[in-house]
Amino acid sequence: MPGKFSFHDHISCDVLVVGAGGAGLRCVTEILEHRPDTNILVVTKVSHPQKSHTGTAQGGLAAVDPDDPIDSPIYHMFDTWKGSDCTADQNVVQRIVESAWDEILWLERRGMFYTRNEEGKLAKRTFGGHSIRFGEASAFRAVFESDRTGKGILDTMWGEAVKKGVKFYNQHLLTELLFNHGACVGAVLFDHKKGRFISVAAKMCVLSTGGSGQVFRVTTNCRHNTGDGLGVILQHGLPVMDPEAVQFHPTGVVGPGILASEALRGEGGILRNKNLEPYMEKYAPKMKDLAPRDVVSRANELEIREGRGVLNPDHNIEHVWIDLRHLSDYVHDVKLKEISTFFKKFVNIDPKTQLAPVRPSNHYHMGGIPTTLHGEVQDINLNVIPGLYAIGECACASFHGFNRLATNSILELITMGKIVGQTVLTNLKQTLPSNEPASEKGEYTFDKFSRYLNAQGKHNVDRIKSDLRSTMSDKVGVFRDEKGLTSALDTIHELQEAAQNIRLECKSLTMNQELAQRWELDNLLTVSLVIAQSALERRESRGAHTREDYPEREDAFNYHTLAQISPEGNVVFSQRPINMDIFESGADYADKFGYISRKY
Amino acid sequence: MMVCKILKTRRSGMGLVDITLNIRRYDPDQDRTWWQKYQVSVGEIMRFVDVLRTINTELDSSLAWNSSCEHGQCGTCAILVNKSPVLACELLVERAINRFNTTNFTLEPLSIAPVLRDLVVDLEQAYSRVHEAQPYIIQPAPLREDETYSTLFPRNQEAFLEATRCINCFCCAQACLSSHHSFIGPNASMASIVRLMDPRETACEERLKLLYSDRGLYRCHTSRACSFVCPKEIDVAHFLALAKQGQFAHSHCSDKG
Repeated sequence: MPGKFSFHDHISCDVLVVGAGGAGLRCVTEILEHRPDTNILVVTKVSHPQKSHTGTAQGGLAAVDPDDPIDSPIYHMFDTWKGSDCTADQNVVQRIVESAWDEILWLERRGMFYTRNEEGKLAKRTFGGHSIRFGEASAFRAVFESDRTGKGILDTMWGEAVKKGVKFYNQHLLTELLFNHGACVGAVLFDHKKGRFISVAAKMCVLSTGGSGQVFRVTTNCRHNTGDGLGVILQHGLPVMDPEAVQFHPTGVVGPGILASEALRGEGGILRNKNLEPYMEKYAPKMKDLAPRDVVSRANELEIREGRGVLNPDHNIEHVWIDLRHLSDYVHDVKLKEISTFFKKFVNIDPKTQLAPVRPSNHYHMGGIPTTLHGEVQDINLNVIPGLYAIGECACASFHGFNRLATNSILELITMGKIVGQTVLTNLKQTLPSNEPASEKGEYTFDKFSRYLNAQGKHNVDRIKSDLRSTMSDKVGVFRDEKGLTSALDTIHELQEAAQNIRLECKSLTMNQELAQRWELDNLLTVSLVIAQSALERRESRGAHTREDYPEREDAFNYHTLAQISPEGNVVFSQRPINMDIFESGADYADKFGYISRKY
Repeated sequence: MMVCKILKTRRSGMGLVDITLNIRRYDPDQDRTWWQKYQVSVGEIMRFVDVLRTINTELDSSLAWNSSCEHGQCGTCAILVNKSPVLACELLVERAINRFNTTNFTLEPLSIAPVLRDLVVDLEQAYSRVHEAQPYIIQPAPLREDETYSTLFPRNQEAFLEATRCINCFCCAQACLSSHHSFIGPNASMASIVRLMDPRETACEERLKLLYSDRGLYRCHTSRACSFVCPKEIDVAHFLALAKQGQFAHSHCSDKG
């Protein structure tokens, strides 16, 4: 049995950034470009920043080109607002959309390999829900790097971080935040590789820990997206916002649920059922296959439910088809290169000549840690917590409301990353009171890890995780109702109990995968709990949150959910109003930004 | 090395196949290496990462292995299967049976960096060679006055686009006949060659200093093993050959090669 734990090291820095994907690294580069001597500690759970989940984003990056004679930022704002099912915060939407193109140029100058057109300019393509003139026609608004746009962003970003001499703390877990008089003053890290605990005193902490897709069995998310940032926030009694707002991507490759980008439909791919009918025109007469993801995911699931799905013999899973056979070889071989190989490698299908099997797969968490427009983390009373910031998928400002549009996520990463970098720079200029962490620091983490290593019982991490993920996929997925959600909550509570009796086979602290996954499991359980409970509480349908027992959007629910966990372990709710700045501005087209009905 | 008892799953049924994995294990606490056999009944269309997860769930939760995206876009899960470097997330059981013509597989960690535990190697150390190759634009070419970004034609990019797909899985470095102690490796070299071919880079001499150093390209024996094993099917050797000849088409750097 392990003895009492202690800190191997105490580190001080100006800024601690936890998570080295697109958002975290954009923040880091912004700070270092303006204040090169800033002492920044960049921590990631993965083996190297290049292994972050940003690298798997495929399709594109939305940004209105100021030289585009047809498109306009106001259209992008409208599409985002409508796509969010009128739940995005309009101040955030305006800020991100208006600063988008600068970020495209920033990346290009630092070496991103955007796909070009024949004139040598940035090529663009169209995605679901993006339109010109308020829904009149599809907008060609997304720049891209083949179908590996996220990889292009991530490679550019970690390259810049290396260039600026950033030292990465890879394979470190953020187990605890440290506070003093309500301000965040540092964190406790667990160095997974060497099995050591480290305390960090930081003037500012930025959380950019990514998504939580691993709470679902079928997901496009990487193995490390276990909602760790949300887990840490919740463990400190702080709230998460709109946790019930979870996106299911319409086209996951059948079986493992690997992402098959919306670019497939942007380039002309057509969804078909077992009778080969192009059914999207039934569900979205105007935008058809390019309707937003929540609409298409529901359509795919309904086709399957009503008997028009196809059974995949290998996985014994029903699915629909995406038809790419009519696309040119150039599109297959260059513009959709990676996805074409996925179909070949994982389902043995050549999409040039064969229909490709797809089904909705968990994809993105619109909800997250509530922040202001500047990325400052808020408590349940909407007071800003000094020294604590959140960006990227773990955060919720909220740019996406209850349904995110394609190509808006990596846009959010880089714009909000920059904005938080600027906020941090401004705040670093102020003379800060010396915030020494309270003396009991680390006790929470030590106690937790000691319980993990000493627990006895018959349970094992992977089995509980597998039960949890199946429950979430089956009962808290595309379609939800009170019966299913209640039953899911019962299961989550049982699994939380069972997790106390997990006996770890490996008792070492050093590179103990089982120990790290045990810690992740607690995050998965906590995040699942708030997702399911919030989904039960929201008795309406809004964006990706579809309640079959409450199929309409209700004005009474025109607010953001705030959910936190009480010391007794119950989920406690509050609300944050939806920001309507554009609507209230009285400017041109402001009237389009009310609580409009959503038809595509 | 010692061999432990064989652990077996008890399932059987339709679409399942029995395979045996002999996995090289390493315990850093006791600095102990041993082989452990696992017999598992798994779906033919399962990936090797799924098989490893099955072992964790049903047989042995202590077995450590690394992965992240699990669809061939991050390169974290590279291991040796029957001595061949592969991505565990891309290798389907049925393909492995066909490829190696057996249902017995030995799994080992890559040898390009120290083993941390079982199949997990210290990628941070492996990456230090990529960082050394400066995977970014060192000195960007100035823009023309009428430009807000570099005008680049598809034909300018064509020559090196494939090389930008590299995910640093280190399969090529593993397969390379040169030792990673004396050669920075195929993927690290390629990270620099991409920028030599990128018209936006001007710091060519700085790049060539490393590539033409005694840890650079002349360590390459042109075995083409890198191209042969690349999971992204990048012709890595082609880029190394171009660099050896100083042919960085369409770039500032061609004449300086």
